[in-house]
Amino acid sequence: MRVSLQWLAEYVDLELDAWELAELLTASGTAVESVEKVAGEWRGVVVGRVLEASPHPSADRLTLCKVDVGGEVRDIVCGAPNVAAGILAPVALPGARLPDGTVIGEASIRGVTSQGMLLSEKELGVSEEAEGIMILEEGAREGMDLGEALAAEDTVLVLEITPNRPDCLCMLGVAREVAALTGKELRRPSFSIAETGDPAEGEVRVEILDGDLCSRYVARLIDGVSIGPSPWWMRKRLRGAGVRPINNVVDVTNYVMLELGQPLHAFDYHLLEGGHIIVRRASPTDALTTLDGVQRGLSPDDLLICDSSGPVALAGVMGGENTEVSPGTVKVLLESAHFDPASIMRTSRRHDIASEASYRFERGVDPGGCRYAADRAAFLMQELAGGAVRPGAVDAVAREIEPLRLRMRVGRSGRLIGIPLSQHEAVGILRSLGMGAVAVSEDEVEVEVPTFRPDLEREIDLVEEVARLYGYERVPSTLPRTASNVGQLTFAQRMRRELARVLVGAGLHEAITVSFIPSSWLDVLDRERECLPSEVLRLRNPLSEEASIMRPSLLPGLLEALRFNLNRRIMDVHLFELGRVFLPREGEKLPGEPLRLACAITGRWVPKQWDRQPEEADFFTLKGIWELLACSLHVEGWSLRRATFPFLHPPRSCALMLNGEAAGYMGMVHPRVAQHLEIPAQTAVMEVDVEPLLQAVRAVPEYREIPRFPAVQMDLAVVVGDEVDAGAVEAVIREAGGELLREVRLFDLYRGEQLMQGEKSLAYNLVFYALDRTLRDEEAQDIWREIVRSLGERLGARLR
Amino acid sequence: MQGMIPEDVAKEMEGDPRLSALLADLQEALRSAEDMDSLERVRVAFLGRKGKITSLLQGIRELPAEERRRLGRLGNALKGHLEEELGRRRERLLVEELEESLHRERIDITLPGRHVNFGTRHLLSRIIEEIEDIFVGMGYRVVEGPEVELDYYNFEALNTPDWHPSKSLQDTFYVEVPGGDYEDVLLRTHTSPVQVRVMESTPPPLYVIAPGKAYRHDVPDATHSPMFHQVEGLAVDEGISLGDLKGTLEVFARKMFGEDRRVRFRPHFFPFTEPSAEVDVSCNICGGGGCRVCKGTGWLEILGAGMVDPNVFSYVGYDAEKYSGFAFGMGVERIALLKYGVPDIRFFFDNDLRLLRQY
Ligand SMILES: [Zn+2]
Repeated sequence: MRVSLQWLAEYVDLELDAWELAELLTASGTAVESVEKVAGEWRGVVVGRVLEASPHPSADRLTLCKVDVGGEVRDIVCGAPNVAAGILAPVALPGARLPDGTVIGEASIRGVTSQGMLLSEKELGVSEEAEGIMILEEGAREGMDLGEALAAEDTVLVLEITPNRPDCLCMLGVAREVAALTGKELRRPSFSIAETGDPAEGEVRVEILDGDLCSRYVARLIDGVSIGPSPWWMRKRLRGAGVRPINNVVDVTNYVMLELGQPLHAFDYHLLEGGHIIVRRASPTDALTTLDGVQRGLSPDDLLICDSSGPVALAGVMGGENTEVSPGTVKVLLESAHFDPASIMRTSRRHDIASEASYRFERGVDPGGCRYAADRAAFLMQELAGGAVRPGAVDAVAREIEPLRLRMRVGRSGRLIGIPLSQHEAVGILRSLGMGAVAVSEDEVEVEVPTFRPDLEREIDLVEEVARLYGYERVPSTLPRTASNVGQLTFAQRMRRELARVLVGAGLHEAITVSFIPSSWLDVLDRERECLPSEVLRLRNPLSEEASIMRPSLLPGLLEALRFNLNRRIMDVHLFELGRVFLPREGEKLPGEPLRLACAITGRWVPKQWDRQPEEADFFTLKGIWELLACSLHVEGWSLRRATFPFLHPPRSCALMLNGEAAGYMGMVHPRVAQHLEIPAQTAVMEVDVEPLLQAVRAVPEYREIPRFPAVQMDLAVVVGDEVDAGAVEAVIREAGGELLREVRLFDLYRGEQLMQGEKSLAYNLVFYALDRTLRDEEAQDIWREIVRSLGERLGARLR
Repeated sequence: MQGMIPEDVAKEMEGDPRLSALLADLQEALRSAEDMDSLERVRVAFLGRKGKITSLLQGIRELPAEERRRLGRLGNALKGHLEEELGRRRERLLVEELEESLHRERIDITLPGRHVNFGTRHLLSRIIEEIEDIFVGMGYRVVEGPEVELDYYNFEALNTPDWHPSKSLQDTFYVEVPGGDYEDVLLRTHTSPVQVRVMESTPPPLYVIAPGKAYRHDVPDATHSPMFHQVEGLAVDEGISLGDLKGTLEVFARKMFGEDRRVRFRPHFFPFTEPSAEVDVSCNICGGGGCRVCKGTGWLEILGAGMVDPNVFSYVGYDAEKYSGFAFGMGVERIALLKYGVPDIRFFFDNDLRLLRQY
């Protein structure tokens, strides 16, 4: 909402400057988005009176004018058709600068010197009107600066009106707020209509058939109007408010809407069949072409204004072409009505029309203000279009909308706000806003809510009014009494933080990727839907196909982030993400949203250094990170099991098992996937469900005795077939080693010349100790021999 | 030799021709003894089996008793003093030698340190944790709710009428439920539905915050992202007032943005709170004088808040006569933009390591 302070000052005395006023409005809930200074950007443009206008000797279209520019008469050549002796018009003197940057000089036009230029509105930058020169109203003095003559200097406040305050969508409503905030008197426009001719009643009939959608319809008749442009001051105000001036009759309807908030419509009376207005829902046979030239298909839910022959307007949204006011219009039927907000909203949506009228009706127009607005507009048509206002209005009331009565408990209201509120103060605030407020008991106030405030329906609405007028800034800041309340993160919340912290410590960067993925990703990762769910959650209205699916896995987003970096020549990328995935559940409206952890690493894990060779990130880098995580968080009962996944390199991938259940995967991406995504095949990824992971966390690790007696250390190097996994070897070692074997650590893996083809050697460091005595070397050697025997028997291993 | 032998003893020795000659020899020998080998030679020459002091002491046996005692005393004193001196010199030489050998082990401390991988938390996660910690410190619990929500929780129970513009396909993402034809399943447009879920399942008093993702049908640009993060807050208790809301958010804003920041509350409108407020902190870039970031106002809007609307209480079965409460919601990305100067909201979801590594 754009509010001209010049205009606003008609309704309330403004003693504050624009900035102070802006602050006051903002602090009371009418946010001021900006304060705009409006000034005529004209330098050297003055008011001139054309004294003589004669044809140019050598050009038909040009006129030679003698123009009085204030104590001096100049010869000016003009090409506009509307120039005539006697008019007042803006004159650019040589040296003047126009808003578009043009500088006016003396010029010779077809042999005649022009000492200045008569200007059109377009040249002045005030409208698109370029047809003729701008004609100024009488009252301005010759030689007067144009800015001064047009009272062009103004300040506009751009207000953000919240949807609950339709009453502030007009000058009078804003003025009411300002009056309440500054303690000034509100001045409603006063005027008197000189009614003449036969009463309107005889020529106009109004029938409301659907009273649920139209509570009231006021029609006035104005005869003998002459259509023409509105005066400058009105056009200026309309433009300042963002409304395009059309002609005096239409402009008046818009002007009164901006002034009082009541949308109005003017029909050409002679085009209305039978002078009959019928307000009803559309029927299947109805058709209407609206003012914008669009033929509208109508729904039975649309409310129409009809005459005896059919629809003439989409009620409250847009008028029809068939009854539009045109330059030939002489008799106007003026409509001022109240329509149901929800119905107007549906119609405006259905037809995708957002008009100034529908915007206001949707939010709620004062049902009690129809008559006053009709009178105001009739008066202005009488003044500006020379119309004769017919006596009386045709006022059809389908439903009387009475002011609401509410009770407010002052004590409770004060406690809710947190202030000591007196009844006197509460009454004062409510009255300043135009409400009737009377104390009815020691605590209670009875409030009559005026019909222009449809947002005030409950006691709490009144509390809000009191709070905002009292001033939020004056409310003392306190804290709730939360002494009995202990704030704490849950175990899972703390563990999640710990999880992230360990991964960050290990050298991964946390990524947050968007939850939507392209549907094509699913095919890339898992064409047959072996692992990703076959049913995914799709958006009904995605922004694009590229963001149409709620991710069933964190992998696509993470690989996309990987690629984003690779494309920017960042080749070593180590990422993790903690986020939810979305898995539809049979028979449930809402999907499961398990929290997942995923990691993706590629490039070098350790870069080349001045004394070290680089280390590529691979499966074992990621496995090491997982082991670190499991160890730091005390994850128990986990294992890796060989498994294939469609998006992972078949023999370089595994399932992550937690307490016997598959909870995720780890592996190198499948070369096919890598190629498709244009990422290196040397990319290791893992993804795991966080809930089972945290369930496997031992919250309070158990005390294990620290050995007091020395340990015996022995090495063991065995040769096994290449197909034997190190894990199997270690399992046999541990089993055969029994409880005195405390640690088993693989420190060497060898394949090559010293061995046969298809063999490998594994070397372990073994640590033995007892908790109750010093272990003798012979005891350890006995166990060692048992281990060797067992390995030979079960895995065909031999000592190296 | 100076200082090796006490002055009186030295004087006594000077008086004896044998001793004075011995003393002179010793002084001469020690003068050039600058390394271990020459020290050893001095030792052998004077204290060895055939050394000069040893011989002197052996030779006194034939002397008369008094003379023997005197020479024995002086000889032994000289022996003791020489041994001490040799020890001192050896020790000094060892220290010098060690110092010299350490000097050869000099390293170039300006070479880069050995690489250790470096990881970072995402800026948004850090901000969420910071917010959580502030409120946990004030007695709040952290709760969560689903990102795919029902219209009921996202709009209806939050007092948002059916015709509200934010429910349109242009503003809200709707979800297709496989095997079902529902129109009320959507991506939550704010974290506020968690309020309703928590109140449904927990009786008052209640002090919770709910961080999480939310979604709006916005084409990404510098200030809009279809996915973003919010932190919702809710306090319900007996006697909670608008003043309590002010106090709580002032504490929060100062802890989050700095103790010197001013906080401003402006009345506003939200469907599910009344009275409602928008909360601004003074602009840290211009200090309140007005700049581009604060659009000349000197204030930065950081959150929306208000007293829980009694209608919302009636949806969850709370007694609005007995209890009152406040709720607030803040955009995490906005806080990051303001606090860390990140110029574009899309940067948060690119996961560009050059950005991630900065925080
Ligand atoms: Zn600023």
